[in-house]
Formats: sequence, structure tokens, C-alpha cells
Amino acid sequence: MAFKGGYAGQLLYIDLTKEKIKKAPLDEELSKKYIGGAGLAAKLLYDMIPKGIDPLSPRNVLGFFVGPLTGTLFPQASRYTVAAKNPLTNAWGEAHAGGFWGPELKLAGYDGIIFTGKAKKPVYLFIDNDEVEIRSAKNLWGMKTSEAMDRMIEIHKDPQIESVAIGPAGENLVRFACIFTRNGRVAARSGMGLVMGSKNLKLIAVRGTKGLDVAQPDEYLDAVKVWYDKVLNHPYTEGRVKYGTTELIDLMQSIGRLPTYNMQQGVFDEWENISCDTYRDKYFLRPRADYACIQRCGRFVSVATGPYKCMGKGPEYECISALGSKCGNSNLAAIIYTHHLCDEYGMDSIGTGSVIAWAMECYEKGILTEKDTGGLAFNWGDHELIVKLVEMIAKRKEIGNLLAEGSYRAAKKLGRGSEKYVMHVKGQDMASQEPRAQKSMGLAAATAARGADHLYAFPVLDEGQIFTKEIKQWYGTKYLPEIGERLSPKNKGFMISHNENYSVLIESLGVCKYGTMVPPALYYEDIIRAIEVTMGWKVTEKELKKIGERIVNLNRLFNVREGITRKDDSLPDRLTKEPAPLGVPKGQVVELDQMLDEYYKYRGWDKKTGKPTKKKLKELGLSEEAKFE
Amino acid sequence: MPKILIVDASKCVGCRDCELVCSAKHYQTFKSSLSGIATIKFDEISRDVPMVCQQCEKPACQAVCPVNAISRDEETAALVINYDLCIGCKACVSACPFGAIHFDDEEKRPIKCDLCDGDPECVKICPSEALKYEEADKATMAKRRESIEHLPELLKLITGEKG
Repeated sequence: MAFKGGYAGQLLYIDLTKEKIKKAPLDEELSKKYIGGAGLAAKLLYDMIPKGIDPLSPRNVLGFFVGPLTGTLFPQASRYTVAAKNPLTNAWGEAHAGGFWGPELKLAGYDGIIFTGKAKKPVYLFIDNDEVEIRSAKNLWGMKTSEAMDRMIEIHKDPQIESVAIGPAGENLVRFACIFTRNGRVAARSGMGLVMGSKNLKLIAVRGTKGLDVAQPDEYLDAVKVWYDKVLNHPYTEGRVKYGTTELIDLMQSIGRLPTYNMQQGVFDEWENISCDTYRDKYFLRPRADYACIQRCGRFVSVATGPYKCMGKGPEYECISALGSKCGNSNLAAIIYTHHLCDEYGMDSIGTGSVIAWAMECYEKGILTEKDTGGLAFNWGDHELIVKLVEMIAKRKEIGNLLAEGSYRAAKKLGRGSEKYVMHVKGQDMASQEPRAQKSMGLAAATAARGADHLYAFPVLDEGQIFTKEIKQWYGTKYLPEIGERLSPKNKGFMISHNENYSVLIESLGVCKYGTMVPPALYYEDIIRAIEVTMGWKVTEKELKKIGERIVNLNRLFNVREGITRKDDSLPDRLTKEPAPLGVPKGQVVELDQMLDEYYKYRGWDKKTGKPTKKKLKELGLSEEAKFE
Repeated sequence: MPKILIVDASKCVGCRDCELVCSAKHYQTFKSSLSGIATIKFDEISRDVPMVCQQCEKPACQAVCPVNAISRDEETAALVINYDLCIGCKACVSACPFGAIHFDDEEKRPIKCDLCDGDPECVKICPSEALKYEEADKATMAKRRESIEHLPELLKLITGEKG
């Protein structure tokens, strides 16, 4: 095999229509151009998915990919990417998750699985190293995620089996259905669970016991010491270990960036009820890491008594905010329980919280009435209602049937001016990153390939005042001070293009953005070293940036091919026209056009259309890919 | 006094770094079955337990070995397998009451912890200090201390003392 390390060197192609399984070697040249994970997904799916198809048709292609670092000792090397045409945006779709499934897939001998077609009846894929089997999921269909995964362990008599699965929401074609990963990790966004459900694919169970080699094992272990020291000794890591992402509730409240009442404002009066200390004091049990994760931000939580009694993996910041502050809900036990239900039914908690928050605002404004809701009052903060709605959405019962379409489509169906209360970009709900309080987040959401998203660029260095050293390291001194200022729109075009290039590289390597982006403990120099000792390749920072840029441009080409232009890189009027009413950002709006102009300039994209220029595409070796026009 | 490898399961976060570094150090690859340590997950009770050779004083593995391939290292007191003598009969795998000896199908040999000649890699890499390598008396005294760390708080509760 040509690969010296990091890669399994093999891809698995599953034709669900014909029930055919094919194994094919992974091309080394392709890997050098796109690395793996998100990069490989960008290229292979760009070539395989025809223009203009319905994302729910058998012609959509669903791919799972790990990166060359997945399964090694690199800090947080647990990640996989899943991608397909996005049923929320009708454009590029991808999601990512940690846990143990990605590494298990690599250790079974595969860098990726590509599903085409549609199974006639519900099936699951079972992989035991070289053995691959499409099996009937007749008895699994209808099961909640944890139950289906437990069944795998029983059926195959191996507690080490790792699974990803959809729940009833994916089966019932809920628009924001997610893919649940054992160990409580979720490939949440872009409706990937819906694509899986549309293919009648319930679950992928994997057992992998092969070894994974690296190019320079001794040097690798020396490098691990350097990486681990950097991550563990970063001043930000202590809080991450103690609270995980829940500490963001407190930070976001303090900077007026905690979306509240459907993003009408960025401060929540009742925030103390959902703060990280409340969470830790009342419900926290123990940390639980993902594979090779030294940040240990995952948590077991338990609600010991009452109607919301449950035990399992705890909600993250995004979930607490989506099901909490966005809906005006400060009952943390209810949020934990609702999160648990979202995991069990297999629904993105951001999509779930966002559509409920939208409906609550429509109800408040008299647009949605009890005639529409079957008598239910959609009052802010009604946690009993929220819990009830999760099940109704998953089962598409009554008003749940409308909400299951996601806020963008539900508003189109409802009409009556409800569209302007949808907090989305390109049809996907915005995460809990109120951009009037941090302008870079607004640009990030507008330009992200998969629709509204904070992770594609993940601008976090300007969030607080703690990363001044890293801001200089990442962006140099030329763009100071504005680049580090939350409320300034200036130089954010440069920032976001820089971040996107780095971020897609991280997802392509199969590692976590925690440790590589926040805290920014590891950076290009560490990635260069990791590639050298893992794959045996010598690369420069310039070359890596070009790989990132190539992936971003290919994602963009996918979107351009589907008709996306500058006008789609937009934000809801609320964020660009209505001044923030409260807190630190009071009076602020997002100066999106100004930032977009700057962004396109750094991208080398046409300012009017938002299309990559021929010159840029040629420079990145994407001229062939651009020939659809 | 030789040191012992102490496992504090209450601190383990289940990242499996100990497994990975063990196989990488001994066999230059990442492979669980070539590791002398394994973490077992108990999601129902939110626990992870690292399982590793206890270096028993009355080792069942040594007793059943038909070719005397298992002996105790004089310096570290670790039970080590002499692979020149080992015939791969797997009797030690069956005999170990902890399942701490694993047979690897590729290497065709039993795998167990050898305490890395007195400098265990798993202890050095563990991010949550669930693994320690210390003299027996020190280790247990430290554990005792830790287990009563909350005692002052409890006493306050009992006596009704404030502050």
C-alpha cells in the first residue's frame, strides 16, 4: 500500500437499491489534495451528486468519512464527517460528530462509506472488520436511538460494537432529523438523519479490531507529548474540563450574545437558572471523554427526581440555549430531559428549539393561534409544552406535523408574515450565536456552506478578551485592533476566510475543533508535524492553507451549481435592521454587506454574484470541477 | 519498595489514551488488542474502569504456564512474559481472574502489562490522573486521604456549624 500511515486505504461503496457492496482503494493523490473527512466528502460527493436532485430522492448520496488522524493519539482524534445534499437548504450539507464510532470504522479498515440508492425495506449495515453485510432492520424500525444501539450489542453479542443511528424522527422524515452516535454525540445539522431515513437506512454498526499504523511511531509519541502539554496547559482548558460548553451560557449572557425569545435579544433575565454552576451543582455526575479526548468536555448528568427524571449524556451550550433561552425557558431539568428526548428521537436540538421559538413568537404576535395549534397555548417558557412538542414533532402528530418541516418551511406553509420571524440562513436555523453582539458570527453564518452555521468558520478568538496572544499568532498585527473587537465589522472578511480554510482542514483530518480552534492551543505548526509523523508527508503552512481554500471553494461550487448566489448569503432582517435592544450590544446591527464585500475580496469571488472567479478556481486546481456552467 | 500501578476508576473518563499509548509504545501501532490495559464502559452507572494486570502475589498465570515463560522482574516486580519460551497455549489467558491477559491474533502471543520497565506510559498520558504509579503505602495513604476529603463538610452538616 502506498500509504505510510494514518489511512486505512480503503473506501466502502454501498448501493442500497441493488444491495451491492464494493470495496475500493483510496487514491493517494486524492488524499493529498483533500486529506480526508470533510475534504474527501467535498470532492467525492461533488462528483457523485447530480445537479438539481431532490435531497430525499434515491439519487442523493450519503457519505461518512474519517480523517487520517482519526483513531490515533492526536488530541480529540475522534471525529467523523457525514455529508449529502442538504434537505434543509437544497445545497451542500454536512455534519460532524465525535464519540468512538469514527475510530472504530478506521480500525475496521475503512476511511469512508458511501451510500447510494434507497433500500426497498428498512436495513442496517453491519461491519465486522472485513465482513460487511446489509441486514434487515425490520425489528429496529420505530426504535429510539439508544434502544436500537443496545439491540446491536445483543444481536451481535459484542458490547464493543459502535453504532450511528437515526431515531423515529429520521424515519418519519422530520426535516431536522440528526444522526445519533453512541456516547451521546450527534451529527446534528443539515438534516443528515432525514437523508438516512429517506434511504431506509436505520443504523450502521461497526466493530474494528485492526491496528492503525503511523509513518513514524517513535517520533509520533514524542510529538504527542508536545501536543498534550499545549492543550492541557492552556489556561482555557481548566474551565472546559470543569464545565464543558455549558460555561458559554455565562459568557454569552455577559456579552449580550445569548439568543433569547427567538433571538429578539441577547440577554436572558432568568439566565442564572441555566448557568454552568447551576448545571454543575444540581445535575452533573461525571465527565466522559470521546476517543483520545483530553479536553473531556462530555458529561454524564442526571435529574434524580420529578417528571423530568433521566440519566445520560448532558446537553451542550447550543442545546441549553436552543431549548432554553431561545424559548424563554429556564427550567434546566426540563431542558436536560428535552435534550434527552431529542437524542432518543434523533432530532437536532438546535432545529427543534428554533422551530418552537419561532412558533412561540408567532403565537405572541397573533399569527399562530389556538385554531392552528389544536388548542395549545404557545407561551414563552412553557417547559411542559416544549417537552410535549418534541414527541409531537418526532411523530408528526397534529401541530407537530407542521413544526417537523423546520421553521423555514413551516413559515412558508403558514404564511401570514410569519416568514420574517424565521432565524435562518439558506433554510437552516441559526445556532445560538447572536451576531449583533459579535459581528464575525454574522458573517460566518451568512457564508457557511451548509446554511446558518457557527462551526464552518468558528470565529471565537474575538469572543472574549482572553485570546490576544493567539489573535496575533493567527492574523498578524496588520488587522489590529479591529480584528479582535467583537462589535467591529472591520477586517472580519479576512478573519472568516482565514478561519474557514483552517476549520475545514481540521474537519478533514478527523480531529476536534476543541484544542485546535478553541482553546487555540494547537495550530498549523502542530498540524504540519502531525501530518509528517502520521502520514509521512512533508507539507508547508502555505500548502495546507491552499488545501483548506480548495475545500471551501469546492463546497461553494456545489452551492453555485444549485443556484446559490450572493443574495443567499444573507441574514434575517432582525439582525441586520433591528438594533439589539439590550445589554452590551444595545443599538447594534450586523453590517453584513460591508463584511461580505470584504469577504469576497479575500476569497477571490465575484462581488456581485458570490461565485468563485475563474482565476481563483484555476489557482486551486478546480477548473475541471467548474465546467458545469 | 517497588511501586504499584493504582487505578482510580472514579477519575477515569474513558478516553482510551492508556490503551493507545501502550500498543504504540510496545508495538508501534494503535491497536487495542496489543495493549496491556483496556477501559471498560459502564454507561448505566456512568463509569469507566481501566482493567490492567494486578501483578498478583500468587499469579494464576504463572502457575498455569507449562513452560515457565512468566517470571517476576526483580526491579519492578512486574510479571513479564518471555516470548522466547512462550508456546502460545493461552493457558494464562484462561487463568487470569481479571481478563488482564489478551491473546493477539496477529502477533500470536499473549499480551499483558509489563509496567514499562518501571516507567509506565499509561500513567504518564492519563489526562485525568486515574492511573498512578507509586509505592504501595504512599498510594493507599493518598487514596485514604482523598476519600475523606469531604469529611470537614460532612462534620459541618452534622454539627450544624456554619461557614
